[in-house]
This record gives sequence, structure tokens and C-alpha cells, in this order.
Amino acid sequence: MQALLVFLAIAALSLLASSPALDPARFPALARLAASGFLFLLFGVVLGPSMVGVLSVADLGSVRPLMALGLGTAGVILGLNLDPRLLRLLPRPVYAAALAHSGTAFFFVAVPLLAPLILTTRPSLHTAVGAAAMLGAAASLSSGHFAVLAHRGGRMDRVRGLGVALLTMLDDAVGLSVLALALVLGSAPSMGEGLGLVCLAVLLGILCGALLAFLTHALNDPAELTTVTLGMVALVGGAAAYLRVSALLAGVACGATLALVGGRTVERVARALGRVERPVFLVLVFLVGCGVYTRDWAAWALVPGFVGLRFLGKVVGGGFAQRLVGGALELPPRLGYALIAQGGLALCLVAEYGQLVPGGLARRVLDVVVVGAVVNELLAGQAFRQVVRAATPPAPAPTPGVEVAT
Amino acid sequence: MKGAVVRLLLLMGLLAIISRAQVLRADAGTPVTLAAGALLLCGLFAGKVAKGLGLPRLTGYLLVGVAVGPYALGFIPGEGVKGLDLVKGLAVSLIALVAGTELRLGLIRRVGARVSLLCAGVCGVTFLVCFGATFALKPVLPFLSPMTLPQALAVSALLSTVVVSFSPTVTIAIVQETSARGSFTEFLMALVIIGDLFVMVAFALAAGLTRASFGGGFDVAGLVGGVGWELFGSVAVGALLAVAMLVYMRGVKRELPLFLVGLSFAAAEGGTRLHLSPLLVSLAAGALIANLDEREGERIHHAIQRAGLPVFALFFAAAGAGLKLDTLMTVGPAALLLVVLRGAAIWFACRRFAPSDDPRLERYLWMGLISQAGVTFGLAALVARTFPSFGAQVEVLIVAMITTHELVGPVLTRKALTASGEVRADDAPGTA
Repeated sequence: MQALLVFLAIAALSLLASSPALDPARFPALARLAASGFLFLLFGVVLGPSMVGVLSVADLGSVRPLMALGLGTAGVILGLNLDPRLLRLLPRPVYAAALAHSGTAFFFVAVPLLAPLILTTRPSLHTAVGAAAMLGAAASLSSGHFAVLAHRGGRMDRVRGLGVALLTMLDDAVGLSVLALALVLGSAPSMGEGLGLVCLAVLLGILCGALLAFLTHALNDPAELTTVTLGMVALVGGAAAYLRVSALLAGVACGATLALVGGRTVERVARALGRVERPVFLVLVFLVGCGVYTRDWAAWALVPGFVGLRFLGKVVGGGFAQRLVGGALELPPRLGYALIAQGGLALCLVAEYGQLVPGGLARRVLDVVVVGAVVNELLAGQAFRQVVRAATPPAPAPTPGVEVAT
Repeated sequence: MKGAVVRLLLLMGLLAIISRAQVLRADAGTPVTLAAGALLLCGLFAGKVAKGLGLPRLTGYLLVGVAVGPYALGFIPGEGVKGLDLVKGLAVSLIALVAGTELRLGLIRRVGARVSLLCAGVCGVTFLVCFGATFALKPVLPFLSPMTLPQALAVSALLSTVVVSFSPTVTIAIVQETSARGSFTEFLMALVIIGDLFVMVAFALAAGLTRASFGGGFDVAGLVGGVGWELFGSVAVGALLAVAMLVYMRGVKRELPLFLVGLSFAAAEGGTRLHLSPLLVSLAAGALIANLDEREGERIHHAIQRAGLPVFALFFAAAGAGLKLDTLMTVGPAALLLVVLRGAAIWFACRRFAPSDDPRLERYLWMGLISQAGVTFGLAALVARTFPSFGAQVEVLIVAMITTHELVGPVLTRKALTASGEVRADDAPGTA
């Protein structure tokens, strides 16, 4: 029944989000949140146990399989983008630039927020370091959807738009590495055991990825290919959830292995997953929103620090990235302002952390990042205008509209 | 087929590794998503293996479910299989929706009366044979032996009512798999559907008698109200669903498979909560759409067929994983005796009462009536819930019978369709 409630809530909200009531001209912020899927995050917060209570804590417990499925799917899609042959073609300055903007934001957030985390909850040092690292990891991530939409809409040069998108894609590696580190620190009583669990997740993903490549190798029927792809995504996410290891990391390892050894099936698998990507993402962010505890005042107190420090880190890191990239990649001026949107992976990271690391600190991290992600999405629209203005001479104002990056 | 066997073995190897790794972990998380993924994948490749061996794919789904499930190799924990009940409800609704689109008014006019007569004959004979056998087994069945004569008669009647039931789900799935079309197939499908309506009414009556024999009183009004609500309420809710579907299909015109899955999901869960029959709700919805707007009925049929492969593979593999093999050991002889008697009764009734204008009905129809699955499971569970003093033991006996019927039934159903000469394609792409 709980799953039915979630399904009906999502269906109703989907209809609402796609209705003409959310006219971009009248409600630009709401329309932007609906297009990015973050509106579902807010719906989740409102309908979750700490506000209206349509879904209780027990309901959330019973829809955990959906969370595992969502995280596994997100991981496999991310992993499929990590094609090692393509990554090898990128020059080193591009990696340096990606590391600069994400690393700067990471340190700008993680280091200053470590002290308040320790003071408010008094956890063990390595748990606090893990939590601060997760805040830093979530801060380090950026979404390139504004740049993609800008170059599609002709408001930004295509090469520059794709340059920003490439940098934001590479910063995913920083976020995932930090998640692995935080799980080593916090998911088990000892660091050795934590490391073992992370390795188990990666090994599981590699096995599943190799098997998926073999299973899909000789399949020509589209229905069978879709069935096998969805089945393996459920298997990798489900096995990780069953073993209490990271479904996201296992999914990434699965996708990356498939990208490496899958050959011609990779594209077909990606297409099959593309069909379920948006609904799965919406369900996932809705469930993440439901997990927010709105009465944690300490978390609310941390949000301005998180958003402000991240903004500063991105602006400074963007400057570093521009200097480091040299002529290897064409980037727009005021790059940092183009990196403010946070994207869905940050939510996946903290959701995964919340599932695997016991204690209130993980929930506080989730609260801060969820609220911060919504604020950053709203700020990002304004900030990106600075980039467009600096990059192009004044032009006739485009008609207001919201598109969905695909 | 060799490739499918290798792939299936590799999958089972991976599951063995996962279950071994779990033993080393102190705490386990939710196994439901794992169960869904594992049964879907294993089901798909086991279906291919079964097809290679000349068996229905459905038998492959069931057998692999049994193999990897909690009662055999134990790669998938029982909690994971139980968590898939929601998927099972969804599959039954989808299958019933497709079956409903086949129930055209013309067909009902053509064969309705003949099917009803034959159904009454088959159900009546089977009931009498099973009732007599169960009552005769009173001294050896532990739950019957301490009962008084009226109680034993009532419980025998209750058990026999459940034993009579057929499986529309399996029949429709095999018809889909083989793309069978023709008068024999229509007759078979109509018979299993009408048969279940008979069983629903008879079950309510038998349950009322049993309650009365145990001192609970015979509540005629409650009985009529309950049966009426289940039958007519289901049809009414099905009609509402049909209207919702038609409005959506005419207005929105996109994402039909997703919408149908959502609506079937709601029908399955909501129907159960409202004490309606999810099967009848979806059946009524499908039939109404097909008769109001033939083109939209066809659209539904094709949309569900596209989503059919994963739904059927998962549903039947999960059903296989849920089969309690250990019950065969405890009540095996009695269950096997009832299985044989039921089969013989159905065979005799078909030979005796089937319309003589089509000799195929006399010869092969009985094979299509052996399967038992979802409806029988549901009724058995209801017996266990309603009569806690003996219901659990009755359930064990019925589940042991279902286990046998699930393994034999699909093979016989396909054999009947093949022998009737109405199988068009042995394996339509993208179907079960």
C-alpha cells in the first residue's frame, strides 16, 4: 500500500508539474524547479513524515527497494558515461581544471563546516570528518544543464557550452571518490571494514557489468534487451542494498565495466536506460525529499554557510580552472558563475550516505544538502545570466521558457 | 539454447556469490530489489531454455523461480519473494485486462450459454469427486479427524470449492505466448474465466456454511452482501477504470504502457483493500473498453503485449520462488491423490458434457483446465485467515496441490492449444 501511495503521489505530481499552471512567465522559479525535477524534492519534503505526514517513517522504510533501484540506475547511467577510451583522449589540463573547481569548492565547504558539525553533535572524529567530506563532495558537484540549454538556445557559443558541460561531468569523479572515502570512514566500526565494504561494492558492480555485457551480447530483440538491462540494474542495486554496501558505487562500477567491455551493446543499453531515467530520477528525488527532517534547526543554521561557502568556492575554483585549462578547452568568462547549479548526483550521494551511515549526523548532512541544492538551483539561473552577459554582446531578450536538459 | 543455458548458469553463479557474501555480513538490507532483478533475469533465460526443450516459457519461469527461491537453493530470501506480492498483483491485473479485451459481446452471445453449461458440469463433477475424497480421508487428515460430522462435511466442501478453481492467469499467458486464435481458444478462455466466477460464489457459500457449523451462525444477508459486493462491485469499479482509460487514451494519447501499468497497479492494490476481485475489476475494464471502442481495445492489447515479457517473467518466476516445496513432503500423498482425482474428474466431465459439434473440446479441453495459480492461492490464504483453528493446515494441503498443478498445468495447456491446431506462432517476439 505504501508503494501505491508513493506511485499515486508521483503520478499526481507529474501531472501537476506538466500542467499549464506552472507557466514559466508567471512562476519562473517554480517552472525551473519543475524542469530540473527539484520540485519533486520539495513535494517530498512537504508530504514526508516531518511535515504533512502523508508518508510515515514506516512507509519510507517499506519503499527502500525503490531507493535502491533509483541509486543503482543512477550509478549505471553515470558509469556508462565514463568510457575510458574517451577519457584517455582528454588532455591533462582539462582534468586539472575539473579538479580545481570541484576541489576548491570541496575545501571551501568541508574544512570550515567540520567545526560546527563536531560542536553540534559531538560524534567521533572520523565520523565528523566523513560527514564534512560529504558536505564538501556535494558542494564540489555542478550541473551543466544551464550551459547545455544556453548553447541549444543560441545564447552561448556551442564550444564554450560543451566545455562547461565537460567540466561538470568530470567533477562527478570527485564526488564519487569522496563518497567512497566517507563510507570507508563511517559505514563500519573500523576503517578496514569500511574499506572492505567499498571494495565489495565495486567488485559487485564489476561482476554485474561484465555479466551484463555478456548477457546482452547476442540479444537482438529490443524487448529482451530492455528486460535484461532493467533486470541487471535492479540486480546490482538490489544486491548492494541487500549486502548493505553502496548501490551508487556498485552501479557506477557496473556501468563503467560495461562501457569498457560492452562494445556495440553499450549504446543500446544506454538507450534502454534512457527511457526510464527521468521517471526513476523523479521517484528518487521525491523519496530523498521525504527523508528530510525539517525540525533540525542545527541543519537550517548550516544551510547559509553551505550555500555561501560553495558559491565562493565555485567562483574562486572557476578562476583557477580557467587559468589551468589554458588553450586545451574554450571556457566562458566568469566560469564559476556557470557552475552554481548543483544537479541530482549530490542528492544521490547524500541519500546513499544516509542509507549506509548510522546516526543523526548523516541525516543532518542530507537536510543541509537538500535545502542547499534547491537554493543553489534558484541562484544558478541568476548567476548564469552573468556568464551569458559577459560572454556575448547585448542581444534581443529571448522569449521566456523552460526546457529540460536531456 | 546452449547460450541461454550458459547465461543462466552464470547468473545463478552470481546469485550464489551474493548469497555467500551476505552470510559474511552481520546485517542484511532489503532483498526485494535483488529478488526482482534476479527473478527477471533468471526467468528470461530459463524461458529460453524451456522453449529450447519444447516446453512453454512459463514452465521455465516457474522452475527457475523454484530453483533459486528460498525453498530450494535459497539464493533469494523469502522476505524478498514476499516483497514482490505487489508485482504479482500488478501482473494479474495486466493479464486480466488483456483477457478482458478478448471478451467481445459477439463471443459471449456465441458461446456464453454453452460455456456456462459446460462450466457447471465440470465444476459440479470436480466438486463432488473432491468433496467425496476429502471426506473419505477424514481419519487420516489431521485437521479433519477431530471434527464433528457436520463440521467435517462443511470443511470438505470448503476445501473442494478451492480445489475446483482454475487459473485464468496461466491460460491467458500461454495463449499470449503461442498467439493461439480460434474457437477452441475462445472456449477455453471463457471457461476458465466463468469457472472462477462460479468458484467465487461457491466459496462464499461454503465459507458461510463452515462458519455456521463451528457455531458462528449462518448470516444470509452478510453472505449475499459479500458475494454481491465482490462480483458487482468489481464490475462497477472496472467500469469506472474503463472510463478513465478511454478518457486518457482519447485525450492524452502518449505513454500508454506506463499509464496502464499505473492503473493496473492501482486496481490490484485498491481492489484488494476494498475486498474486490482485482481479476474481475481488470477483466470488466478490458471487456468494456473492447466493446465500447474496438480500436482502443486493440491499442491496450498491443501496449500490454509490449510490456508483457518482463511482467510475465517476473510474475511466474516469483510464483515459482514462492512454492513451498516442503509442504509436498508433509501432505504429499493426500495432495497427490486429490490432484489425480481432480484431473480425472475434469477429464470425465469434459468428455461427458463438452459440446459434440467440436470433437477437439471433448478430447483436449481438459488439459487446459488443470492449471491453478493466483486465484487458488488467494482463496487458500483466505481460508487460513478466516478459520485460524484449521485454516493453516488446509492452506498447506492446497498449496501442495498448486505446486503440482503449476508445474504440470502450463505444459498441458500448451499441448491442448497445439493439438487444437490454433497455435499461430510458437514465440511471438516480445511476448511471454
